[in-house]
Amino acid sequence: MQKPPDLRTSTSQPEARSSEFVAVEGGQPSTSAEALLVTAYILMWALVLVFVLLTWRRQQTLEARLGQLEKALSDAKQRAPD
Amino acid sequence: MQVAGFEALVTLPRRFYEYRMQRSGLIFHLLLALTSALVFYLIYFIFLHTPTAQPESGGFAQKIFYFHVPSAYAMYLSGVVCFAASAAFLVRPTDARNAWAQAGAECAVLFSLLVLTSGPLWAKKAWGVYWTWDPRLTTLLLSALIYAAIVVVRTFVGDGEPERRFVAAIGVLGTVNLPIIHYSVQKWGGNHPTVITGRGGGLRSVEMREALWLGFATMTLLTIMLLWARARSAWLRSRVDSLEERMLDAGLEL
Repeated sequence: MQKPPDLRTSTSQPEARSSEFVAVEGGQPSTSAEALLVTAYILMWALVLVFVLLTWRRQQTLEARLGQLEKALSDAKQRAPD
Repeated sequence: MQVAGFEALVTLPRRFYEYRMQRSGLIFHLLLALTSALVFYLIYFIFLHTPTAQPESGGFAQKIFYFHVPSAYAMYLSGVVCFAASAAFLVRPTDARNAWAQAGAECAVLFSLLVLTSGPLWAKKAWGVYWTWDPRLTTLLLSALIYAAIVVVRTFVGDGEPERRFVAAIGVLGTVNLPIIHYSVQKWGGNHPTVITGRGGGLRSVEMREALWLGFATMTLLTIMLLWARARSAWLRSRVDSLEERMLDAGLEL
């Protein structure tokens, strides 16, 4: 039976695992102004768009229901004896 | 004859309101087209004509300001509509007043969400954190929660007369916080900038000032349009409810 490889000496181990962080000259900040700006604009206009779409859909539903009710009421009035 | 004339006079505002609500489609669509055109022009103007501010104020991210501040102003506007309509409803309840009070609260929630999403993203660049318990941020969050509470109560509790009176009272009391938000920066300090002041403000470039005024004009139109649409929805809901009630009373099938 073959012995398993010794992990402490194995070449598959990463040569230099990060054990410290060193500042890099000219490094870029993780949150760029452009990314934040674009995210803000997308979020804001997405919120407005969803609100407008929900309002439009709600009005369509209510207008349809109102039409149904008014028609039912006028039909009932016509059917009613004088 | 005299009684009929008096009745016609008394119901004139209601009939005018109903007429306006039903026949105002064209004006509404014109307003929608104008608002959309202004939004696109404002975005173009902000990105291509307005200079970038100093790095301490967020640099390129400062361009959030031209929608962030007008959104806060739109929240005030919606809050004032909610306050006026709620107060009027408490004096004399009508469906129209209730509809405008509801529309004001709903739009105030939307605009406070715009402020609360755009502000932290800008703050991350300018202050290094998304959120801090600064007096202005905290008081604005409080107002957002008050208007959200009104919307939640209206949605889940019901739309009877007592519920309408209850949310109208919150609409009146909740507005007390709006001047507190505005003056919190001057009274209690904090991180929030004080660029816009009664003494002319701190925008040092003509294009910056133009972009801000354009932002105010765009948000004013957007607020009017949204308030109108939401008030119409609320008014339609009242009409549907009243017709359903009439049909039930008459023993008709719904």
